[in-house]
Amino acid sequence: MNYKTILLNGLWSQNPGLVQLLGLCPLLAISNTLENAVGLGLATIFVLILSNASISLIRSLVPDAIRLPVFVLIIAALTTCAELLVQALHYPLYQSLGIFLPLIVTNCLILSRAEALARRESVWISTLDGAAQGVGFFLVLIALGGLRELLSSTLILAALPPGAFISLGLLVALHRALTEWVKNRHQTTNQNDHTERRVRTTGDIL
Amino acid sequence: MAWRLTLFGVITSIFVGIIYVSTAPAIKAARESARLNALHDLAEPLLSDAHIGHAVLTALPGSYPSSLISPLLVTPIQANSRTEGVIIPVSTDQGYNGPIKMLLALDRNQKIAGFRVIEHRETPGLGDKIDADKTNWILQFNGMSYASITPELWAITKDGGQFDAFTGATITPRAVINALAETLRYLDEYPNALGIVP
Repeated sequence: MNYKTILLNGLWSQNPGLVQLLGLCPLLAISNTLENAVGLGLATIFVLILSNASISLIRSLVPDAIRLPVFVLIIAALTTCAELLVQALHYPLYQSLGIFLPLIVTNCLILSRAEALARRESVWISTLDGAAQGVGFFLVLIALGGLRELLSSTLILAALPPGAFISLGLLVALHRALTEWVKNRHQTTNQNDHTERRVRTTGDIL
Repeated sequence: MAWRLTLFGVITSIFVGIIYVSTAPAIKAARESARLNALHDLAEPLLSDAHIGHAVLTALPGSYPSSLISPLLVTPIQANSRTEGVIIPVSTDQGYNGPIKMLLALDRNQKIAGFRVIEHRETPGLGDKIDADKTNWILQFNGMSYASITPELWAITKDGGQFDAFTGATITPRAVINALAETLRYLDEYPNALGIVP
């Protein structure tokens, strides 16, 4: 697997928030303000990078039968550390994130990266994937948080739970439209290349 | 297989332990400053030219109610060596889900300067309306003292008192008001219990 694919997957084509739709619970619940979104996003990146790295590091030591308990142990330990660090470094954020900080442990994005990639790939690839997926999730969180905070001053619905679903729907639609557009453009340029390259190879050449 | 799982358990526990021990002092300091901020909000009416003093453990005389613990952590509000008021913790076990912890700020005449719920696990959307972040319900006690209404009225309307409970939640406001009422009743009986001389 090359680095460019991994980065592109996390940030765009396999984005956890917009394409895989993983970790929706914190994504929707915590995106009501930008500050909360940034805090939870950074905590998730922290846990995701370290869990991918450490799971990849121990991958040869873990038999398949105890794979899941070990992964959950590692993720839970890292989440506890993240919780302690947020408490120590920025207590008001800890208070406003409330239950969603310890709930990072149940974010299916983290376990899915461990299962899908980190238990097979090298430490370096896994760390990079953790960073790419984490940053992808973070960007969706702040886009959603920013959008909702911006709209909520004029449209109270945006601050409420239904507003989270609608805003995320709009972002998913935007993502699809952009992907389509890029794909179409790519195809037309390819076709153009094709026509230009067409040359006569048979018949008389004058 | 089992020993490997145990080994991983031990390793991760040690790891968490190290982080816990190394962040503990910073967390304690952050908690303390968050507590002081909360106290500032609470005692705001008294703080015009006063400041929050150091908390003192005070043994309570007589038979004190279950909403107070003895020795009680009394935080004085001081201005020029005169005590303008106190902040005391109040708690109750009568809530719907675990203990409800509150803070009560009283001025020299035992009038309520501020009253807040600081920790609870009441039902979101029902019982959590006691939280000042959700509704203003808890602010209705500001400015009252035990003597300002007859003792029977210190209860929710369902129990013959004068304070409204929320629709669908009776247990939570009843617990809060009963804890407040028995605290005020006790302090009315022992005006010097907290070390302020009126």
